Amino acid sequence: MKPILLQGHERSITQIKYNREGDLLFTVAKDPIVNVWYSVNGERLGTYMGHTGAVWCVDADWDTKHVLTGSADNSCRLWDCETGKQLALLKTNSAVRTCGFDFGGNIIMFSTDKQMGYQCFVSFFDLRDPSQIDNNEPYMKIPCNDSKITSAVWGPLGECIIAGHEGGELNQYSAKSGEVLVTVKEHSRQINDIQLSRDMTMFVTASKDNTAKLFDSTTLEHQKTFRTERPVNSAALSPNYDHVVLGGGQEAMDVTTTSTRIGKFEARFFHLAFEEEFGRVKGHFGPINSVAFHPDGKSYSSGGEDGYVRIHYFDPQYFEFEFEA
Amino acid sequence: MQDAENVAAPEAAEQRSQSHVDRPTPAAGEAPAGQARDAASETGSEGSGGEPGGAAENGGADEPSFSDPEDFVEDVSEEELLGDVLRDRPQEADGIDPVIVVDSVPQVGPDRLEKLRNVIHKIFSKFGKITNDFYPEEDGRTKGYIFLEYASAAHALDAVKNADGYKLDKQHTFRVNLVTDFDRYMTISDEWDIPEKQPFKDLGNLRYWLEEAECRDQYSVIFESGDRTSIFWNDVKDPVSIEERARWTETYVRWSPKGTYLATFHQRGIALWGGEKFKQIQRFSHQGVQLIDFSPCERYLVTFSPLMDTQDDPQAIIIWDILTGQKKRGFHCESSAHWPIFKWSHDGKFFARMTLDTLSIYETPSMGLLDKKSLKISGIKDFSWSPGGNIIAFWVPEDKDIPARVTLMQLPTRQEIRVRNLFNVVDCKLHWQKNGDYLCVKVDRTPKGTQGVVTNFEIFRMREKQVPVDVVEMKETIIAFAWEPNGSKFAVLHGEAPRISVSFYHVKNNGKIELIKMFDKQQANTIFWSPQGQFVVLAGLRSMNGALAFVDTSDCTVMNIAEHYMASDVEWDPTGRYVVTSVSWWSHKVDNAYWLWTFQGRLLQKNSKDRFCQLLWRPRPPTLLSQDQVKQIKKDLKKYSKIFEQKDRLSQSKASKELVERRRTMMEDFRKYRKMAQELYMEQKNARLELRGGVDTDELDSNVDDWEEETIEFFVTEEIIPLGNQE
Repeated sequence: MKPILLQGHERSITQIKYNREGDLLFTVAKDPIVNVWYSVNGERLGTYMGHTGAVWCVDADWDTKHVLTGSADNSCRLWDCETGKQLALLKTNSAVRTCGFDFGGNIIMFSTDKQMGYQCFVSFFDLRDPSQIDNNEPYMKIPCNDSKITSAVWGPLGECIIAGHEGGELNQYSAKSGEVLVTVKEHSRQINDIQLSRDMTMFVTASKDNTAKLFDSTTLEHQKTFRTERPVNSAALSPNYDHVVLGGGQEAMDVTTTSTRIGKFEARFFHLAFEEEFGRVKGHFGPINSVAFHPDGKSYSSGGEDGYVRIHYFDPQYFEFEFEA
Repeated sequence: MQDAENVAAPEAAEQRSQSHVDRPTPAAGEAPAGQARDAASETGSEGSGGEPGGAAENGGADEPSFSDPEDFVEDVSEEELLGDVLRDRPQEADGIDPVIVVDSVPQVGPDRLEKLRNVIHKIFSKFGKITNDFYPEEDGRTKGYIFLEYASAAHALDAVKNADGYKLDKQHTFRVNLVTDFDRYMTISDEWDIPEKQPFKDLGNLRYWLEEAECRDQYSVIFESGDRTSIFWNDVKDPVSIEERARWTETYVRWSPKGTYLATFHQRGIALWGGEKFKQIQRFSHQGVQLIDFSPCERYLVTFSPLMDTQDDPQAIIIWDILTGQKKRGFHCESSAHWPIFKWSHDGKFFARMTLDTLSIYETPSMGLLDKKSLKISGIKDFSWSPGGNIIAFWVPEDKDIPARVTLMQLPTRQEIRVRNLFNVVDCKLHWQKNGDYLCVKVDRTPKGTQGVVTNFEIFRMREKQVPVDVVEMKETIIAFAWEPNGSKFAVLHGEAPRISVSFYHVKNNGKIELIKMFDKQQANTIFWSPQGQFVVLAGLRSMNGALAFVDTSDCTVMNIAEHYMASDVEWDPTGRYVVTSVSWWSHKVDNAYWLWTFQGRLLQKNSKDRFCQLLWRPRPPTLLSQDQVKQIKKDLKKYSKIFEQKDRLSQSKASKELVERRRTMMEDFRKYRKMAQELYMEQKNARLELRGGVDTDELDSNVDDWEEETIEFFVTEEIIPLGNQE
């Protein structure tokens, strides 16, 4: 089916995310605009205005009341989803790379870049305690000295966060004590994205080392590997099939040296158990920076370096396809 | 008759009573020792003043006797008496070290002695100051050998090194030796010790890979930008790794022509590997080696290094014996000609190199010049051995009124079997057909009265009487030319991009050359014939994006058109069953991979390797079957193909079974894992409910009761686009 093209950004897309129900799609890019769209037809519902730099990350809580964004303007902002009002402004010393609501929607975390002499930190705020926000005083701040965090999500039940690092390491930090619970290194290069499965029992990582990998979220045990020829920027798990979609391509800085034909800017579908590729979707004329499955599994979206977001509804053949086994 | 010669070479006049011909080197011992004695006695006889002792004996009565009484004891030390003289007495160091003896010097009478001295002086003072010389004489004529003394022993050594073998004229080649060497050679024992027997090193079966039951071929792969090298069995399904080593070579690898050895390059030299486990078989120490070349018989290895060459010890190019590992001969590398500088004859019996106006042919195993002299061919531009016999083809360009010439010469007889004169020649290229049945000389000409370059293909039929020549003329630019390896067809790529055409010609037995087929609009810049002939891959490498066309030339059909984007190399396997296209990291930095195709152009495998650099098939030695046996096999092909098809079916069904089986186990394992994970998930249901204030969010529609109905109106535009032109 013809994809729906969302043109709401002037710069390359950095992250896209559906809310839990899947009716809304949040998109952020290297421009200061945060957009929210109706996923069903691609109509723009509104924007959250306030950031003054590239926005790296976005998240919505489970009941879609609040939206959290992190930006290179050294701030993390909390918005009222419906009205677009800025509820909180948390100033930081360096760019905010990742952010997220915990399972209950009460605690937020965000990580900051190692930049301009500042270290990489993960900060935790409890929204139920307004003083933390007002004084910009997180209840916990985990320093991360070795290799900066490039991607992070909350673990199941909000007990821990899972962080991917620049060097390819994966760490599980306790959300209570801040200590490192589990650490593994399966990737050889930067982890660009981490996305949980719908039931949060497993997650998929996307790495610059041309692979995406499936892990168990409790033990961080490596399960599967999906190989490509290009850096993988983002990977998402289907909510109702054993499928994973990978987005990536030639790195942006190398794109000009190659033609689009071999940039391999396609979204690629793999079977979760067999690690075999079974489909590709073309469209972007730059690398794909972020992919997301609709919670109902009937469509998916991709945001690219080209600045476009594309919503793709699957053809009937997708649902009929089965591997011979 | 002699007079004429005398004018040209005055020294040659002394050849009349030539009895003292080239003496063997002093190893014989006898002759030089005699000379030394001669020299001593002659020095004595030269003294004309009579013997000093004589005066006392013949002393007249009027002379007082100065003799000491018989019992006189000297009470003055010699030092007091003649200290000033003793100070000048010869020191041990002033011995005979700086003295050389030169043999095979022309014998002359006193009238020409001065001239000879001048000539000798001219030649030998190059190596240092000559402090003394001596020309022994007999019957008023010099004896044919002379002694020269230098100021220092180093000069003498220099003279021996450089002047030994100096060719004065036709009859006189100097043999130069140190006088001190005579002593050395005199003391050599007459008994010959039998050299100790070297233990036999069992290297195993170096051709074991030919015995593989499935007749698979091997290939080497260099990847990770040269850090790792692997050897694989080629297999239709997946390549099977045999050996993988880190830093096996520092630059690249080469197979020997029959596939016995794998050569790796190192800063300090070349190593050869072989046998089942790829053990090291031989090492050749050549600092900074860059290029190598095997003789076709795999007996010799030629290595080139730009370092280490010195004036008196040629080391730029070294020829090694592969079996013993010994250095056979070193050469200087003066010209910056294309590698290989030395070209081997097909059987490895001869090798030749070209320098200015000269073609030097050497023979094995002596490594000496064939018939001790090079061929003078003024203006020689290029030469090439026939792959099917000891025939050399070379060409010389036009020189004023003399036309350009292509010559075919039989060796070692040096008989010219065919000479062809050519006019208005710009350039020539020599292309031999693999069996040596034909030679094509591609001649670029600028004929008078026309503009631009015309190319003629002069086809020499080597197997026919008097080597008849046919000509095919082409007016377009020629991009590539290639002979069918085992056949009588050739392919030519011609035209200007983007209008490139390929033409296939057949050299027929009836003396005609027929254009079989021409395809236009080709995306190609290189021709790759299957080693068995008939099939050909036309490739547009690098700048042409890796376009590939697979052509069967028996009926000239294009079997497949494909593309391997940015392909830089095409390599046929030695049997002509498979062909590999690759994108090498050396020429392109992304998508480094090699793809395996059948000869018909069906893609079998895509093998991506990190920073893949090079793939080389392991060559096979020529078949041992006779022509008739090969024919018979071809005739019975149907019988064999049934067996092979059966085998293929079996392995295919096995493969798909294996795949299904593998998937099944993967699925099972995954299910098990998921079951565990889901059990944990179910256990945590209460915790989840608690965290979200009792709202069940496990399923999208698990809390339908809480839903609020909301109607949103969307504007959907409908657009009807006609599909295709319906007429």
